[in-house]
Order: sequence, then C-alpha cells, then structure tokens
Amino acid sequence: MDFDLEDLVHVEQTFYEHGYADGHAHGRVHGLIEGRALGREKGFEMWEELGFYEGFASMWQAIHSSQSGPDDRTTHHTKQLLELIAQFPRINPSATDASDLDIPKLFRQIRSRYKALCATLGVRPTLRSGVSSSPTRQTDDPAEAPEGTRPDASRKVWPVQAAENQRPREDLNF
Amino acid sequence: MEDELIWNDDSRALQDSEWSKLSSDFTNAGYREGITAGKESALQEGFDDGFATVGAPLGRELGLLRGMASALLSFLSRPANSEKQIALEEARDIVAQLGDVRFSDIVPPDLEAERHAREHLEAEREADDDADLEMNEELKEKRAVETLEDMMKRMGAGSISSVETQTTRPTIDDVRRLKERLVSLSEGIGIPLQWS
Repeated sequence: MDFDLEDLVHVEQTFYEHGYADGHAHGRVHGLIEGRALGREKGFEMWEELGFYEGFASMWQAIHSSQSGPDDRTTHHTKQLLELIAQFPRINPSATDASDLDIPKLFRQIRSRYKALCATLGVRPTLRSGVSSSPTRQTDDPAEAPEGTRPDASRKVWPVQAAENQRPREDLNF
Repeated sequence: MEDELIWNDDSRALQDSEWSKLSSDFTNAGYREGITAGKESALQEGFDDGFATVGAPLGRELGLLRGMASALLSFLSRPANSEKQIALEEARDIVAQLGDVRFSDIVPPDLEAERHAREHLEAEREADDDADLEMNEELKEKRAVETLEDMMKRMGAGSISSVETQTTRPTIDDVRRLKERLVSLSEGIGIPLQWS
C-alpha cells in the first residue's frame, strides 16, 4: 500500500484550511455587522450628549445676540464650550491615530464647561449631568454610568474597546 | 470468493466513510476557528464604520435639537417672558417629545445585516428540506415567510405608524417635524437660527 503519513497530514491540513477560509469569510461578515451595531450605538450615545451641549450653547448664543445685549460671562462660556466640542472627533479616533487628543479629558472639560454655563445662566443643568429620573432618559446617559454596569445588550462593546485601549489614547470608554 | 467480494465492498464503503468523516471533521474544525478569527478581525472595522457613518451624525442631530429646545425652554421660563405662554407651552411640548425619541426609533436599518439574516434563513430552510424531504413542505414555507414578515415588521415599524398616536414609537419623520416646529418657534419669538 502506497500509504504516506506525510500525505495524510497534508490532506488534513488542506481540509482544515478550506474550512478556515470559509469560516473566516463568514466570520468577517458577522464581525462587521456586530461591530457596526455597536459603533452606531456608541457613536449615537456620545454625540447625542455632545450635540445637546452644542445645541444648548448655540441657542443661548442666538438668544443673547438677538435679545438682550450679550453678557460677557455667558459669551465666554458658550464660546469656550463650542470650541471644545469642535475639537471632539466625529469618527472613532482609533481609525485616525494622528490625534494627540485626550478624549476623556476633553469630555470632562466639556461637561464642566456646560455646568459653568448653566450656573451663569441661572439654569439647572437638566437632563444630562444630574441624576435624571425621567424614564425616557435612562439609556441616554451612558457617560454617567460607571463602566461595566451597563445592561447586557451593550456588553459586547467592551471587547472592541478593550482592543482600542491597548493602543494609547484611543479609548472611547468613559 | 464471494466472501472476498463482500469484504472488498465493505472495505471500500468503510474507506469512503472514513474519508468523508476525516474531511468533514477537519473542515468543520477549520470553519469554527476561521469564523471566530474572521469575526474578531472585522469587529473594529465595523465599529468605526457604524460610529462614523450613522451613530455620531444621528446622535448629534438629535442632541442638537434637544439642546436647543432645552435652552429655549429655559429662556421662555424666565419671568421676563411671562407673557409668552403659548410659546412656552410649545417649547415644553417639543422638549418632551424629543425626550421620548430613542436610538432604536430612528436608527436606519442595517441592510447588510438584514440580507445576511435572510441568507441564514434560507440556508436553514434548505437544511430542513434536506433533512426531511417529503415532510410538510407547505408548513415550512409558511413558517419561513412568517419569520421574514416579522423581521420586516420590526425593521419598518416606524414608517407606517407616524399617524397613529402616542402609543406608537416616534420616527425620524417625527424628529424632522419637531425640528421644523423648533425653528418656527424660535423665529416666532425673534431668534433666528443658523444650522451648523
């Protein structure tokens, strides 16, 4: 019998590789789909909050420029807040590594600038920074929830972000 | 003689089945590891794509509206504006309705995900068909169609229901209308808006 163990090993390898290639292609489709779902959710959460501050600041800017004469402190805060938000990336920074941005720090600055603006205006910082008890808000304040306490549905975001965290300054995990 | 023939046949059959078992074992093992590796290799790419193309712009759009409406409401709540009751009520309603909008209400469907889900559904159906060919074809067909219908219903839940009232979820069209209301409210009290 012309039986060669080498051949057999080779044949096993070939089968394996065939399976692997098919599986890899299929897995990629699933990875893209799942990653996309997580990225959509995360991007929405972050930019919904930032957009709120941005809209809030620009509306007050519009109010002050068209109504009462602008008050210096308000103008200062709105300007600063809008400048900070303009620095915030609209794409996941891990895709562009060029930036020197400290994202968590920037987010903190934005939040405290928003609170300062509210204080100046004599407005309670509603919806975001307080503990909002409004039921429709529960899922909208990811940033206020400590890591790892989020509901199961978004659990799987952490592997993606864990990968990001291995590279410097790229985490979106506040 | 006869014995030998039989033995040969069996041996052949045995060889074939060993062969196909070997083939499917290794192919399956490769497939399993491939699928995991393939998935991991694409997660980040998918994440970045979803973040940049849908999540961030959509979130910002809604956030902007909420922030503006909130500022306008605070402004109108000031004692100096006590004569603008109607505007105040309008602002309050806009804020409340914007607050009710969820990500899941306005996120566009992921077409690729839906297509892939349908592929799985079809593959499943074929596998079922192979398994019991003569068994109730009609029932299976129906079940598959129903599953598809359910899926479509879930995807399209928004677009049909905007005329119905409070019990249905808001849609992206509702958000658009709220934006128009916000703009006209703001202009109505003398505050022109420019959109960034």
